[in-house]
Amino acid sequence: MPKRATIGLSLVVMLASGYAVFAATGWPWKAALFPLAIGIPLFCLATTELLWAWFGAEEKRDSMELALSTDAVAGRRVVLVAGWMLAFFAAIVLLGFMIAVPLFLFLYLKLQAREGWPMSIGLTLIVFAAFYGLFDALLHLPFPAGVLF
Amino acid sequence: MRFVVAIIAALAAAAASAQNFAGKTVTIVVGYKAGGGYDATARLLARHLPKHIPGKPTVIVQNMPGANSIIAANHMYNVAKPDGLTIGTFNRNLPIAQLTRVEGVKYDVTKFQWIGSAANESTILAIRTDLPYKTFDELRKAKETVVIGSTGPGANTHDFPLLLKEVLGLNFKIVSGYSSSADIMLAVERKEVDGRAGSYTSLRPFIDRNLVRPLVRARTSEPGVEKLPVDEDFAPNARAKAIMALRSAPEQVARPYVLPPATPAEIVKLMRDAFARTIQDPELAAEAKKAKFDLEYLPGDQAQKILVEVMNQPQDIVAEFSKYIKFGE
Amino acid sequence: MSEALLEGLLLVLQWKALAFMSLGIVLGFWVGLLPGLGGATTLALMLPFIYNMQPVEAFAFLLGMHAVTATTGDITSVLFGVPGEAASAATILDGHAMAKKGEAGRALGAALASSLVGALVGAAALALAVPVVRPLVLTFGSPELFMLAIMGLAFIASLSSHGGRGLVRGFMAGALGLLLSTVGQDPQAGVPRYTFDSLYLWQGLDLVPVLVGIFAIPEILELAARGTSIAGSLPAGKISRGAFEGVKDTFRHFWLTIRCSLIGTFIGIMPGLGGSVAQWMAYGHAAQSARDAEERKGFGAGDVRGVLGPGAANNSKEGGSLIPTIAFGVPGSTAMAILLGGFVLLGLVPGPDMLSKYLSVTYSMVWTIVIANLVTVVVCFLFLDRLARLTGVRGGILIPMILLLVFVGSFTSNNHYGDIVVTLAFGAMGYFMVLAGWPRAPFVLGLVLGKIAENYLWISVARYEAAWLTRPVVVVLIVISVAVILYPLFQARRRGAHA
Repeated sequence: MPKRATIGLSLVVMLASGYAVFAATGWPWKAALFPLAIGIPLFCLATTELLWAWFGAEEKRDSMELALSTDAVAGRRVVLVAGWMLAFFAAIVLLGFMIAVPLFLFLYLKLQAREGWPMSIGLTLIVFAAFYGLFDALLHLPFPAGVLF
Repeated sequence: MRFVVAIIAALAAAAASAQNFAGKTVTIVVGYKAGGGYDATARLLARHLPKHIPGKPTVIVQNMPGANSIIAANHMYNVAKPDGLTIGTFNRNLPIAQLTRVEGVKYDVTKFQWIGSAANESTILAIRTDLPYKTFDELRKAKETVVIGSTGPGANTHDFPLLLKEVLGLNFKIVSGYSSSADIMLAVERKEVDGRAGSYTSLRPFIDRNLVRPLVRARTSEPGVEKLPVDEDFAPNARAKAIMALRSAPEQVARPYVLPPATPAEIVKLMRDAFARTIQDPELAAEAKKAKFDLEYLPGDQAQKILVEVMNQPQDIVAEFSKYIKFGE
Repeated sequence: MSEALLEGLLLVLQWKALAFMSLGIVLGFWVGLLPGLGGATTLALMLPFIYNMQPVEAFAFLLGMHAVTATTGDITSVLFGVPGEAASAATILDGHAMAKKGEAGRALGAALASSLVGALVGAAALALAVPVVRPLVLTFGSPELFMLAIMGLAFIASLSSHGGRGLVRGFMAGALGLLLSTVGQDPQAGVPRYTFDSLYLWQGLDLVPVLVGIFAIPEILELAARGTSIAGSLPAGKISRGAFEGVKDTFRHFWLTIRCSLIGTFIGIMPGLGGSVAQWMAYGHAAQSARDAEERKGFGAGDVRGVLGPGAANNSKEGGSLIPTIAFGVPGSTAMAILLGGFVLLGLVPGPDMLSKYLSVTYSMVWTIVIANLVTVVVCFLFLDRLARLTGVRGGILIPMILLLVFVGSFTSNNHYGDIVVTLAFGAMGYFMVLAGWPRAPFVLGLVLGKIAENYLWISVARYEAAWLTRPVVVVLIVISVAVILYPLFQARRRGAHA
């Protein structure tokens, strides 16, 4: 999994830096210097990493980073939660924050976390009240209306 | 009898059209994040407007930053409801963005319902006092290159000296990229740059401290700098003068306040009156004085006239202008 | 100077000033805790309230509020992996890792104690720097600031794993951050770079949505993957103990904490570098103190030094950044710019006057920072076990709450849906980076320092042409940068010789 991830990521970075360099060549040189000076080495570094990953030996975890669970069960759960995140965002855009927030809270608690009715409804109400009180009533944040509502 | 009916009809019409904002919330949309000059002005007005709007509504401020307030202007033009409950304020240079056809502009400044401007602003150029230039004439004759610091294209720190250099031929080197005008002042103290341009308000503390000396100003004047020579007066020809005038035109509408284009005339008038009275409110004046703001009301119709003139500039002037001036801050 | 110091203390100890300070502390506590309530925005909202206050009271309020956000921002970082403030992101790396091992109490204790030490160092610097601050700041011109940015980037070497491959990945991540920092309109020619016709990207990528995405989202995904509470399957009793252990850690690594405080203070003093850099340089420095490769790997997995460093630095930078604000009227950050507005309101003129005529007001600010931080830390310790126990709550309940915080928190940067898109996009990128073994810290460092490096480079070249390279301070900084890059290699070689 790490090997696939780093190969994939290296490819993405190569493409991105390649595009960046290409786009920069069309600009006046004052705007283009920095992107070129970074983009070209970045492309080379990404290529190095790609080749190293492809042909190099399998390595143990060496980076100063957190360890992610990568077994099948974990993978499924990750995809599921990622799906919930995207759904939340879609709900915000379509329905507006005011509807999307309590809806998301309740549905997640009930369906994904499988909490009981009292806990799901109770928590949703408390958290939504706090959210509304702080961000809307007190701070007047401009939450746009949803596309549908 | 007909007389009575006429009176009743008139009263009814008046009652129907008399906008009462009681219990409602008026939102001022600011095209910048909290903490800047536009935001501070809006918050100051928001505190004192309710007294002068019939019904004493709550007035709140919402920040809608992005793209140097093009996003806020687009919102005011296309999305905000024309019911008088949303007022917009944004970058005074947005007419320039429209004029130079910046990508993403989805508004027409001349079609907003203009409440007016809450202030005007003088742009001046100030040079370090320990340099031998005491008047603008001496600066023009300078043999050594004078280094001017700026934040970037689109800001008056950049555009004002740029035109002085390109159009009037002054011996400047403009060094841009400083993150704020305060950083430029630090560079002045370090003798890294010799001076900067900017609003009189922002330069005043440094002038008072005798760090820099103002030498020239743009057309708009403020008490304190009226005696300075005006850049346009030195223009070699009519076209050059028009270009400089074009750059400085938005400075008369320095804190623009607008309503969406379809807002009914009575609401626009009501808001104009409210703003006019608020800006003359002694409590607001006291707070403004403390914060060193200088608020002055310019009625909406005059603001609109200025901007219509900006938009109607002949194509060749606009083309020449666009060579130097890009929309930025 | 000492009479002004005493006078400043007496000014603060009046009951009105203390009352306002307490109010500020209560506000600041929540502002720091919640991502989305930025310290700067809240300062702007509070500014109108100080119109009728005396200077000392007003600053007790404003500074009391602001000084505390750096401390409580670390709390959400440790507990949930969500940065409460942009300056608290580095604390997530080891702080949250410790929470996942059931050591939340210890991590919080360490974060709080190091925050207090940092705040005291920053305040002391503010007090002592008064005579030297003007010549110090004036010596650092644009070339020197550029080299400081380069030196900051050199810390990428310390933030990467050892070995050739580690450095390749580290510098690649850093370069990616640098490239992304160029998004937006460039200040030289006014060209919109990489904006893809999106108005949202005109002014570049905002730091908070990126940080929240790249750090918080992988943690949320991992929390979901494990299916447990944050603290895993450890018995609840164990979690909250250990706060005192964290305090002891701060003293066990006292000199490290002090050094990181000094780094934070110095970065704070340099106007223009921005507040987010200090924590990463401190983290890099803390990582350098690992004695061998094994210990090095512990960073990111829950080494308490990874909490001490950033915890101290993000507090000390506050005291540091007050210095250019007060002495020159040049704010080092948005929050300072707003504070400056407060100065104007109260009739105080930043500049030489504040260091002479109004010296006692300046010193009252020093005392405000000291007292506010002391009070906050004490209060937090009282609630610490309750806070730490949150890591024992079921993941299923916490996830939607944290997600709500994440979404709303990033939305409030620009009040634009683009903020949430950025968070999600960088969340995905962060997740894959961790999966692929790429370090995220260098990426953030590149993103934060990119604009500064580019701008100051252009200014230096435009102003001095090639001569700027030979300025004395620049040469010194070049040497230090090279040393910082080579230090890990030097360490490895030394260990190899001993083995």
